[in-house]
Amino acid sequence: MRISTVTMYEQSMNSLNQQQGEFMRVGQQIATGRKVVNPSDDPQAASRAVQVAQSMSVTQQYTDSRISARNALSQEESVLNSVSDAIASAKTLMIQAASDTLSDADRASVASDLRGVYETVIGQANATDGNGRHLFGGYQDASEPFVRAADGTVSYVGDTNTREQRIDASRLMQVTDNGQTIFQSVHSSAGYVAEADAGNSGSLTFKGPQVIDESDPDFGNSFQIEFSVTGGTTTYSVDGGPAQAYEEGEPVEVGGLSITLKGQPADGDSIEMGKAENMNTDLFKTFEKALAVLDQPAGNDAEKAARANTINTVMREFDNSLDNVLTVRASVGSRLNELNVVDGVADNRQLNYTETYSNLIGDLSDPANFAEVVSQYSLRQVSLQAAQKAFVDIKGMSLFDRM
Amino acid sequence: MSMFSIGLSGLNAAQNALNTTSNNISNVYTPGYNRELTLLGEQQSAGGGVQVNDIQRQFDHYVADQLNAAGSKSSALQSYQTQVSQIDNLLADQDAGLAPLMQDFFSSLEDLASSPSDPAARQGVIGAADTLSAQFRSFDGYLRDMQSGIDSNIRDEITQINNSADQIANLNREIALAKAKTGKAPNGLLNQRDQLVAELNERVDVRLTIQESGTYNLSIGNGQPIVAGTRSFSLEAMSSSADPTRTVVGYNDSAGNQVELDEDAITGGALGGLLTFRSETLDKTQNQIGQLAVSLATAFNEQHQAGFDLNGDPGEAMFDVGQPRAFSNENNAGSATIDAAFGDVDQLTTGDYDLVVTDAAAGEFEITRRDTGERVTATLDGSDQLNVGGVVVTIGDAGTLADGDRFQLQPTRQAAGGLENRISEPAQLAAGQGGGSGDNENALALQDLQDSLLVGGGATLSGAYAAIVGDVGNRTNIVQANLSAQQGLTEQLEAVQQSESGVNLDEEAANLIRYQQFYQANAKVIQTGSTIMDAILGLR
Repeated sequence: MRISTVTMYEQSMNSLNQQQGEFMRVGQQIATGRKVVNPSDDPQAASRAVQVAQSMSVTQQYTDSRISARNALSQEESVLNSVSDAIASAKTLMIQAASDTLSDADRASVASDLRGVYETVIGQANATDGNGRHLFGGYQDASEPFVRAADGTVSYVGDTNTREQRIDASRLMQVTDNGQTIFQSVHSSAGYVAEADAGNSGSLTFKGPQVIDESDPDFGNSFQIEFSVTGGTTTYSVDGGPAQAYEEGEPVEVGGLSITLKGQPADGDSIEMGKAENMNTDLFKTFEKALAVLDQPAGNDAEKAARANTINTVMREFDNSLDNVLTVRASVGSRLNELNVVDGVADNRQLNYTETYSNLIGDLSDPANFAEVVSQYSLRQVSLQAAQKAFVDIKGMSLFDRM
Repeated sequence: MSMFSIGLSGLNAAQNALNTTSNNISNVYTPGYNRELTLLGEQQSAGGGVQVNDIQRQFDHYVADQLNAAGSKSSALQSYQTQVSQIDNLLADQDAGLAPLMQDFFSSLEDLASSPSDPAARQGVIGAADTLSAQFRSFDGYLRDMQSGIDSNIRDEITQINNSADQIANLNREIALAKAKTGKAPNGLLNQRDQLVAELNERVDVRLTIQESGTYNLSIGNGQPIVAGTRSFSLEAMSSSADPTRTVVGYNDSAGNQVELDEDAITGGALGGLLTFRSETLDKTQNQIGQLAVSLATAFNEQHQAGFDLNGDPGEAMFDVGQPRAFSNENNAGSATIDAAFGDVDQLTTGDYDLVVTDAAAGEFEITRRDTGERVTATLDGSDQLNVGGVVVTIGDAGTLADGDRFQLQPTRQAAGGLENRISEPAQLAAGQGGGSGDNENALALQDLQDSLLVGGGATLSGAYAAIVGDVGNRTNIVQANLSAQQGLTEQLEAVQQSESGVNLDEEAANLIRYQQFYQANAKVIQTGSTIMDAILGLR
């Protein structure tokens, strides 16, 4: 075939252009650090890379979420630790106060210690996070969840919500507990509590109650034991039932429970027994009751009996509250554990995503990809030089040069 | 006849041949030049000698036609590729793309869910929403700039086409005149005309018919003549009757009427490439981004309105989004108007729709989705409304509808351009569902939207964006492959054409030597004749 001079020139130029283009493309790959620079380089990979990047971002979101969840739970855990310490020391103080050998002055000093503990607990119940948000108010985190009225009684003004956070694709984790659950509840398995009526005027004291028969059909109910003294004979009745003779020191058995009574009740005195959750569950009320009797010197038998009964009840209530706080703390602990487990799983997942992503876009930080691109680079360089040489040679070959 | 005249004819022929060779050499790089050959013949008159029969232009119409057609396709693909790679490059930017900003937005919602009353977290969400909606607008703005760039490109191309058509018509006249004068068409003018036809083909695909007289007639589109003999008919850039915001190609026919050319009829040349790119890729990409924006805005507005802000008030709509656009055709016989609003967003498509009245009295329409060609018929309901792909279309003055009236509906074309974050006050973010300042339930629900199938009822936001990336990537890839194939073909045809019509300098160098010797030999003939003459005259 006849070849025109223009064809020779253009073909050399075309191959130069083409080689230069390929060379530039490899150069661009090196500069951007990836083999798939434009979506058109590998449309499918580019499109999947968007999806994988989204998965990576979501995984990262949940990781961030776990960090703040861990933060919230750790704060709660440390507050619960000091609350449980406080309740334990309150109990110790009560045991001290229960001793009959203590003078009124000693008891007043115990009371002042107990007041200190009480203030600590209130302070902890109103604890805030770094942003000044109250930890235990439910969704009402802007103001103190536990407020003290003029008469000194503490009440909860938060709500019963608990905040949840998505810590993994399919896991919403509760990251707060509200004040009511912690400070005003007892665990449903907490035992029985007995409480003497505040108006009792006799010297009746009680011990117990103990559970003796859980299969009793009335087990679990609350009972009211009322005493009546007529003409020197003391009788009692349970929940308005038939009157029975009262004998000091003999246990009274009702609904699977047994309570041992001592001393002489006055007419109209009464004792109430019930499951802890149906009696006072409010830790702050317990403190208030304890402080009230410790502050008051007991002169006569009736006052002493009232004090002994209150201390008895209060100790049980402290036990139950402590159990409750420890239960919540255990649940916080297990949630913190779960966060660690999920972290491990997520790290693994993220690693997989990162690998997939870097495969899809041909990330050059992968040695295999890097080696390939670098060898392409030298190859293209050689081809380009060859094309340049061919161009020069062809332009140098002309019959005119030899005329 | 003497040796003198024979030698002279030889000298004359040699000079002609040397001229031709020189001309070939000097025009070796002239575009459109066709190599010339000096055709010699024996003089038929008594006494012999040589004569120049013709200075022949080496030109093959068949190859030229093929080359023109191939060049036309090449330049269509070239202009398509230039345009589509702009979108391809836009999507290649990983950090500025929509995907990372959507991720940032959802991360900020996660922060909000973690600390719902923290002003910093709230400000973070507002900042991320601002950035995201701004990026949507800038993406759309880029595409819109491309639309207006194409409009002005079309205008330029049309001016050039009109110029070329004019010149070809003039050349037709000049060639005919020269032919009448000398009986032969001048090679230079023929070259010029063929070159103009080749150049014209690079702008738009034209069909060439050569009349017996040698006059070129050219037509485009569905056979509209733009050069007929010595007359040319001009094209004009006009706004489409179906969509006044769009520049299309109009044709001024011999009666002086302006006809809008069908976009599908022009596929070749730079103009064809632009039109194909616009209807095939640009519109679709803009619609896809728009659909993404509508889905995002609708879902967020719904969820945000289900929550309560820090002041305890119900959440407001979070995003504004561009509304669907509809036009009634300028040429409609009736005067009915059209209005469109979003209906069931799940049904939205990325297509535009043509609505044609088939039975005005019954309010019956034929609805064609422009990108897929899918057709359905629908009838106006009691309140003169139609549901077209997730858009509620309301016809005003439906009584004045006439059969054949046309309307165009663009559901999501300008949606992304109108995406705007409405929330500026951190307290206005509805993170809760009425529980209080620590309530994060609505923030969680907003965060969950990233996994919901919001787009077209079948894709997540990031899935839909990935589909756009894949789509544009594929299209760019295909166009690049087609372009390099077509360029290969064109180069091959060019080589064929050049092998016939191109100048080879080595060949011309040889010819130069050959004709120089030819000249010298003929001079020698005259010298010999003279010597002989002298010998005779010397006889005493």
